[in-house]
Formats: sequence, structure tokens, C-alpha cells
Amino acid sequence: MPQRFVSEQVLSRPAVVMPRPISPRWCALAAGSASIAAFVLLWQLASMREATILFPGPLATIHAAVVLLREGVLSQDVLISLMRIGVGFIAGVAVGVPLGLAMGAFRPIRIFFEPYIQFFRFVPAIAWLIPAILWFGIGELSKIFLIFYTTIFLVLLNTMIGVSSVRRNQMRAAQCFGANAWQRYVWVVLPATMPYVLTGMRLAMGNSFAAVVGAELIASERGIGFLIVDSWMWLAADRMFAGMLTLGLLGVLADYLFQALSRLCARRYLMRG
Amino acid sequence: MSTGGVAAAMSWRNADFQFAPGTPLILKNFSLEIRPGEFFLLLGPSGCGKTTVMNIQAGFEQVVRGEVLADARAVRGPGRDRAVVFQDSDSLYSWLTALENVEFPLRVAGIAKRERREQAHKALRMVGLETHEHKYPSELSGGMKQRTQLARALVLDSPILLMDEPFAALDAQTRTILQDDLVRISMRTKRTILFITHDIAEAITLADRIGVMTAGPESAIKEIFEVTLPRPRRRGSPAFGELYDRIQAILADEVQRALRREDSL
Repeated sequence: MPQRFVSEQVLSRPAVVMPRPISPRWCALAAGSASIAAFVLLWQLASMREATILFPGPLATIHAAVVLLREGVLSQDVLISLMRIGVGFIAGVAVGVPLGLAMGAFRPIRIFFEPYIQFFRFVPAIAWLIPAILWFGIGELSKIFLIFYTTIFLVLLNTMIGVSSVRRNQMRAAQCFGANAWQRYVWVVLPATMPYVLTGMRLAMGNSFAAVVGAELIASERGIGFLIVDSWMWLAADRMFAGMLTLGLLGVLADYLFQALSRLCARRYLMRG
Repeated sequence: MSTGGVAAAMSWRNADFQFAPGTPLILKNFSLEIRPGEFFLLLGPSGCGKTTVMNIQAGFEQVVRGEVLADARAVRGPGRDRAVVFQDSDSLYSWLTALENVEFPLRVAGIAKRERREQAHKALRMVGLETHEHKYPSELSGGMKQRTQLARALVLDSPILLMDEPFAALDAQTRTILQDDLVRISMRTKRTILFITHDIAEAITLADRIGVMTAGPESAIKEIFEVTLPRPRRRGSPAFGELYDRIQAILADEVQRALRREDSL
């Protein structure tokens, strides 16, 4: 009988069928679902220790949200708050990005504005609530101002840091190619700053959702912030929780949409070097 | 250090350099002539100022005394006549694909899109990267990134190519492949190349001449070696080994001198 090599012996064995690995996407979905289920369960258990009027559980909260939706209150409040966030946020970005770009690129502009930026960024939007009402009245402008105030510093500072973080070799390479100052600014500095601008916008958007509650705290008749405060005044904790849940969900959705839009429209700027 | 009557492509005459007034001189009385079309390797102990020499030749830094010329014109700042390949691939624009990165110098030069795309394709083919042209730098390996840098430096037809340890961060295998490619490209394009390295074997493999610098501070050229070995050069040959040992002895001597100087301070 001819001698068989070890490799032949190994190859002639029946193949061991390995279990198919679970795809990372399914793993993430399962982990996410488990996390939400655990949170809802803990919430329900915690709420059972207190009176429903003080600590409504998830079912009572969802029921209140459905009632508010049926009444047309929730959708109207959501739209009004989103409008205020949208206008204030866009105004903050429209001023913050160009000013951040100018401050990052031109030292005299930076020296001129930096003390004010550093000072005011430590004064929270909520501190401006009363002055804003005194100056801009109880209409939309005071609320939009507070969102604008919340947005501008985050966007501006991130943009400024982005400009000063452009890699020296990228600028040197452009100089070697004969790029003038304007070409270097438009073709190197601006695209290199984009990830910082987007990060600033994302952070500012999150803060805008927090600020809208403060902005609608007083002298407001509509909006999610008003819904939360008004419900509390009437000890309707389930409606208040419904408002808080809506605000949180809207924030998550807005962040998701922002990230999706960033990936769609600015993917190339989010590439790491 | 003369170029034998031919106008030098790069020329240094008694140049001194320091980073700021009152600080030690990094280069002192630095003189060097590099011939047109020559592949010149600059070797030296760590910290002797090799990269400073490249930065000055590129126009990123200015000498405080003496003169530095490129094609008989004083170097006053960076320019299209001197293309640079940096040690780190971080000079590539992360938001542009390999093709767009190579196109960038042509875009700055105002060349029409169709023509610049054609030239960029040609440059990428030259470095063997045509199948990866739509990838972003983050999607390329270290070797591919350096090839992209090389293609971007070649696309402008600059007569002078400055390379600062471009293969230092690559694995040995990729480095050898890129060295062979660079020799082929340099013979084909007839550029004058100033290549900075600390690797003696790399210097012997690539160079027409090798300049060995003294240890810093106050560095200057200590000795220049003409490399007449036939190409392709491989480490195994006795002539390669002999030249390696001669350069190694000078470098070891310089490192010892630097250590003695540090001890005496």
C-alpha cells in the first residue's frame, strides 16, 4: 500500500462545517433593541414605586403622547419648536462659520473678537432669557435669539480650531504648486476645516434642542418647552413626560438626519488622512 | 564640490542657518553643488539638519548668510520649479481622491479639466497606481500614498525634485519596490533629485553621488562619494559592501564626535 502524506490524510478528512458568524449589523440591532427594552423595563419598574401622577411609566407616557397627538397639540408644538430651532440654528451657523473662518485665518480679527467669544460662551443661554424678552419682546425673536446664541459659539470655536489645525505639509505642498493665498484658503483651508464645522454644527444642534425648552419656558404659548412647563404647572406628569420623550426622540432623529446628510453631501470631507 | 563647468541645478555657497537669532547655527558654511539631472543623496547622523537642507532648498526656510540657488536663481520661497515629496503622506489632501490629488497642481496652474485629467492619469500610470485612482488617501496603503505623492510631484514637470526620507515609514519590501521604481522614473524623466535619507544602503542603491553631512550643530558637507556601481544595485555585491563600510565609518565617527561634544557640555 503506497505511503500517504500527512497533507493527503488531512485533506481526505470530512470538512468541519463552522457555524456561520452573525453579521455585525444584526449584532448591533440586537444590542440596540436589548438596550431599549432594558431601559423601558427599568423605567416601568421604577415608576411602579411612585404614584403615577409623580412618575408616569412608559405606557402612561405613550398614552399621554397619543392623546396629545389626537388633540393636535403635540404636532403643533413640535412644528413650532422645530421652526424656532431651525431658524436660530441656521442663523447661528450663518454667522458662526464665516466668523470662525475669519478668526482662524486672520490674527487681527481673532485678537479683536476672541475676548468677547471667550467671555460670552461661559454665560449660558438661559441667563439671557429675561434680557431677550425685554429687548425682543415676547414674540418669536427672543426665542430664536436664544437658540442662535447657543449655536454660534460651538460652531464658531470649532471652525476656528479647524482653520488652525490645517496640516502644515498640506499648506506647504500647495505653496510648492504655486497656489496663491486665496487658492490655498479656498482649496486647502476650507475643505480641511469642514469636519470641524460639521462637528460644531452637530454639537450645536444638540444644544439647541436643550435651549428650546429654556426659550419656551416663559412668555410662550406653544412649543414643546411650553408643553413640558405647562403640564408640570397642572401636575400632568404624563403629558410632561410625553413632551420630554418627544423632545429626546426629535433630537435623536435630527442628529441621525444630520449625520446621514453629512455622509451624503460631505463624505469626502469626513475622510481621515 | 564643483559641477565641472556645467551650471548647477542646485547650489549652496557658504550658507549659515539658524531657527531664530541667538540660537545655535544648524548649518555653517554649508556648500554644495548638484549637477543637472543628478540623483543626489544626502546622508547624515540624526539631527544633523538634513531635513533643514531640504526645507531651505524648497523655500520653506531662509538662510541667514550665504546663498542658495535653484537653476542659478536665488531661492526666496517655494515654487513650481521645485516639487517636494514629504516624509509623511499627510501632505496629501484627505478630501481628494488619488487622481484629484495628482490633478491639484495642474488645477492651481489653471490647466483645463480634460487636459489635467489626462496628465494626472499619465503620472499615476508612471507610478503604477492607475487602478487605485478613485480611492481616497485613507483607503490607500502607506506605499500607495507615497506613490501618489510622487505622481503629484511628477505631474508638474518641475526640473527639481526634493524628497525628504519618503520611504522611511514603509516596510522593507515596499521600500525596495519603490526604490526600483524611483530609479526607473528618474532615468526616464531626467529630473535633478535631492533625496534625504539616513539609510546608507538606500543611498548607495539610488544615488549618482552621496553627500555625507557632519553631526550637528553647525553641520556642513563632510565628504562626497561618487557612486559608479552599475544598476540595478544589490546589497550582496562586494563593491556595494565596500562603499557601505566606508560611509558607515564616517557616520560612526561623526556620531562619536557629537556624543563627545554633548559630554563636554
